[in-house]
Amino acid sequence: MVVGSVSSYDAIVIGGGHNGLVTAAYLGKAGLRTVVLERQGRLGGAVGTTELAPGAHVPTLAHTVGRLRPSVVRDLELKRHGLSLIGPDVRVFAPGPDGDAVVLWGDAARTADGLRSRSAADAEHYGAFDRLVRSLAGFLGELAGRTPPDIGSPGLGDALTGLQLGRTFRGLGRDDGRTMTRVLPMAIADFVAESFVSDAVQAAIAWRGIQYTAMGPWSAGTTAVLLGDSAGNDGGAAGQTVFVRGGPGALITALQTAALANGVTIRSDAEVVSITSRDGRATGVVLADGETLDARAVIAAIDPKRLLTTLVDPVAVGPNLLWRAGNIRTPGTVAKVNLVLAGPPVFPAAGDDPRLLRGRILIAPGIDAMERAHDAAKYGRYPDAPIMEATIPSLADPSLVESAAPGTHVMSVIVQSTPYTLRDGSWDDAREAFGDLVVKSLDGYAPGLANLVTARQVITPLDLARDVGLTGGHPMHGEHGLDQFFLWRPLLGHARYRIALDGLYLAGAGSHPGGGVTGQNGQNAAREIVSDLRRRRR
Amino acid sequence: MAQSYDAVVIGGGHNGLVSAAYLARAGLKTLVLEKRPVLGGAAVTEELFPGFRFSVFSYVVSLLRPEIIRDLQLPRYGLDILPLDGTFTPLRKGGGPKAGGGDYLWRVNDHGRTVRELRRWSASDAEAYEEYGQLMVEMARFIKPILAITPPDITSLDPRPMLPLAGLARRFQGLPERQQAVFIQLMTMSASEFLDQWFETDPLKATMAASGIIGTYQGVKSPGTAYVLLHHYMGEIDGAFRAWGIPKGGTGGVSNAIGDAARALGAEIRTDAPVANVIVKAGRAVGVALESGEEIHADSILSSLDAHRTFLGLVETGVLDASFVEEVKRFKFRGSSGKVNLAVDRLPDFSCLPGEGEHLRGAISFSPSIEAMETAYDDAKYGNFSRKPYIDMIIPTLVDPTMAPPGKHVISCFVQYAPYKLAPELGTWDDQREAFGDAVIDRIAEFAPNIRDIILFRNVQTPLDIERTTGLTEGNIFQGELSLEQLFFNRPVPGYARFRTPVRDLWLCGSSTHPGGGIMGANGRIAALEVLRARGRKAA
Repeated sequence: MVVGSVSSYDAIVIGGGHNGLVTAAYLGKAGLRTVVLERQGRLGGAVGTTELAPGAHVPTLAHTVGRLRPSVVRDLELKRHGLSLIGPDVRVFAPGPDGDAVVLWGDAARTADGLRSRSAADAEHYGAFDRLVRSLAGFLGELAGRTPPDIGSPGLGDALTGLQLGRTFRGLGRDDGRTMTRVLPMAIADFVAESFVSDAVQAAIAWRGIQYTAMGPWSAGTTAVLLGDSAGNDGGAAGQTVFVRGGPGALITALQTAALANGVTIRSDAEVVSITSRDGRATGVVLADGETLDARAVIAAIDPKRLLTTLVDPVAVGPNLLWRAGNIRTPGTVAKVNLVLAGPPVFPAAGDDPRLLRGRILIAPGIDAMERAHDAAKYGRYPDAPIMEATIPSLADPSLVESAAPGTHVMSVIVQSTPYTLRDGSWDDAREAFGDLVVKSLDGYAPGLANLVTARQVITPLDLARDVGLTGGHPMHGEHGLDQFFLWRPLLGHARYRIALDGLYLAGAGSHPGGGVTGQNGQNAAREIVSDLRRRRR
Repeated sequence: MAQSYDAVVIGGGHNGLVSAAYLARAGLKTLVLEKRPVLGGAAVTEELFPGFRFSVFSYVVSLLRPEIIRDLQLPRYGLDILPLDGTFTPLRKGGGPKAGGGDYLWRVNDHGRTVRELRRWSASDAEAYEEYGQLMVEMARFIKPILAITPPDITSLDPRPMLPLAGLARRFQGLPERQQAVFIQLMTMSASEFLDQWFETDPLKATMAASGIIGTYQGVKSPGTAYVLLHHYMGEIDGAFRAWGIPKGGTGGVSNAIGDAARALGAEIRTDAPVANVIVKAGRAVGVALESGEEIHADSILSSLDAHRTFLGLVETGVLDASFVEEVKRFKFRGSSGKVNLAVDRLPDFSCLPGEGEHLRGAISFSPSIEAMETAYDDAKYGNFSRKPYIDMIIPTLVDPTMAPPGKHVISCFVQYAPYKLAPELGTWDDQREAFGDAVIDRIAEFAPNIRDIILFRNVQTPLDIERTTGLTEGNIFQGELSLEQLFFNRPVPGYARFRTPVRDLWLCGSSTHPGGGIMGANGRIAALEVLRARGRKAA
């Protein structure tokens, strides 16, 4: 679909994932003539909804959007454009093999009450821990909304940013300030053990420190991952759990509507095969069918490794940067299993309180259990006892199944520690056996679940690479490690959304502050692009 | 009446002795108190079997600061470091490059020879080795001054202690972007992933990565282990002497040289003098009480013991504020290494390169692959000692024959992993000591089958033994895990990384402080300089 016939734009956005759309909507709002080019026939990238069985809609990949920045929702008037969010009281339900469960609520006092029967000490410490996470994450949230300063040739703005961050850091207070520098590089297993004794409680909280990474809970830097996940939202120790009414795809529809309302052109089935450049400046793109488009700014909302190693002229990038780009770490370790169920699954650990199943259901029965799953992945195997985060979004949002057979539910399962490269064989051969393992494992916690499955979709890391275009199948466009963080995400010297060439920008999850459905990368990138284009116009 | 000194140093390990020497050099009346009959702490030489002398614990010198060697004139007092030439990585049949040439990887100090050896494995690795080496030397040059800095408290409003950091930031800005990026990677990445960027040869990566995990409870794939790769290169740029080597007479030779230098500068040293506690009056350390009941008064008390033993052992309960004690308890030790000392009547014979060649004169590294290194760590994570451990073997008698009777040899095997806390089903280290020793011998025998036939005596040091003998908490050889959150301004406790403690006139000068462990002496030196500064003295 081509709206209008111009082939020259102010800005071309490559990739119609959520960050690409956010960037485009902001650019359009700033009055820039903007086009989004999406390779696939549908928009959304890793955010979408699939009709897995007639009338049964399931989140394709990402299933919650609790990290979406309120400022993005506000600025782009997403609610007016149809976005409706559902936030259940329960955040996490983590059943253990003993038939007992750890339940984390939005309300810390309620969580603490529930923990009391397991450990009085843990119950007592939960409030302080929650406060600490909020405090530290608050600082990281500030950081997330800013463009990392230019340390090479700092200008006034960078000094100002430094000062403001310094003040925010001091605002943490002396104790939290020291705690910040101490805990950021820490292993999440150590961090949670400072407050909690129960293995199950430790695991239920630590989970977000390893989710989407190729690390185990004993890896240094996983505390930074947890705090980053908590940054910019009010999730605290429990994390957020927010569904989009109608499925994650409805967020994309709202973003698309917002972008269109701001005058943005959106083209799907438009695969960019190269970025043109002249004298070190990006000038436009070439599409697979040979069509060329020119623009003053080319914005990549795809992963930076793919961008620099496949789309940009290697001579323009230069051997040094090309070598560094080739070494961006993208060890994908996440798979997705989507299920349509003939009825609601029964988790005995939830007793007779079905509300408990409305949040994220976490199968991570202990710190060692998570570490052992990670061990398998290290050597190229998926674990026998997978660590999983499942949701049954149809419980909180019946609209997902309203035209399906009565009683139908959908279940979305994110499976951790599934390495992109298998040691033996290929994911194409392992896909169904892996799907069976996941269902069997779930059945262990919800007996009878296996018999309820009427449709199943297994998305392996290889599929994420092939279908969504994620290098290494990494959903975060690059590992959330300390080596790919803030000033050096994706690469030192290229963390300010400007990357490799003049006029070339990175707006996806590979930039600061990293992945997840936040829209923050797009918002930050758009701010820098608008500022650059206005300066150039003068 | 109690004796009185300007300064008392608790513990006669290498850092305690370095502190004492610097204090004495500045004219302070200084006393060192060592609980054992021998000086050196973990850097001791002892005759474990008649005629066979061993560096019982610490066995190589890598980073002894050149300024200390110079200032204290250590060579005059007998310091003589004999170079260890190269690292030999034995492999089993089929473990070598496809195109013949033997199943081992052997790097030597002769760069040309090493590159030729690497070419046997991979042409691109041989090429990258050159570039990598140059880059690491640049990095080492940049990072070396950090070893001599007193870490600032970054939450403090006083800008003065931040100045060295600002200087560092300026120098960082002066680096080319690629070097800046590599520096960040060194501080944050795993050794294995860092090396992946240059090399493909598995035993090469495994052997290089091994230096990143020595003394830590981390694996070669654990983030934060890349930094130690630099240590090897830091020695090279010191230039004054061969930094990587074994001291003549064992590591006790280093301690004795520092001890003799300290004495010559006027310090008094007492062995067999265990300290029971630090005497604190009105929030101020005023002396120490020995286990014998004797009390010694001093204006400054320096503890070279680790943070746990100092604050939880020497300072009486109630003196320190509860939140500080809480932070000290959080400081992690997690000893993960053991040591097997062997007296043998001839040399081990490696199947991959038989005979008594030059390859036995350097370090012999049992690190055939990254996966072998990592699985050794996996065992330890769950409380087992490694069934197929990583071993760094040295045969000191080949460079210093005085350590054993003529024709005989001593072999030092540093072993990882041996976690201090064993899984409950294994019982205690007293139950597992010999099983651990057997696992080490079995692993060696896979590569050098004659090992069992040549052993005359075997001495196994588990982390528990290391703790019992040297006092190192949990047997951690660095006086506290060298993990990212326990470095620089967080070592040992955030806000107390400047060698001062909450108790006035009580100072830390051991490896629990910045810049951490190893026979470096930097901690002892900077601590002494801080004490002198606080007393308004010049360092002389």
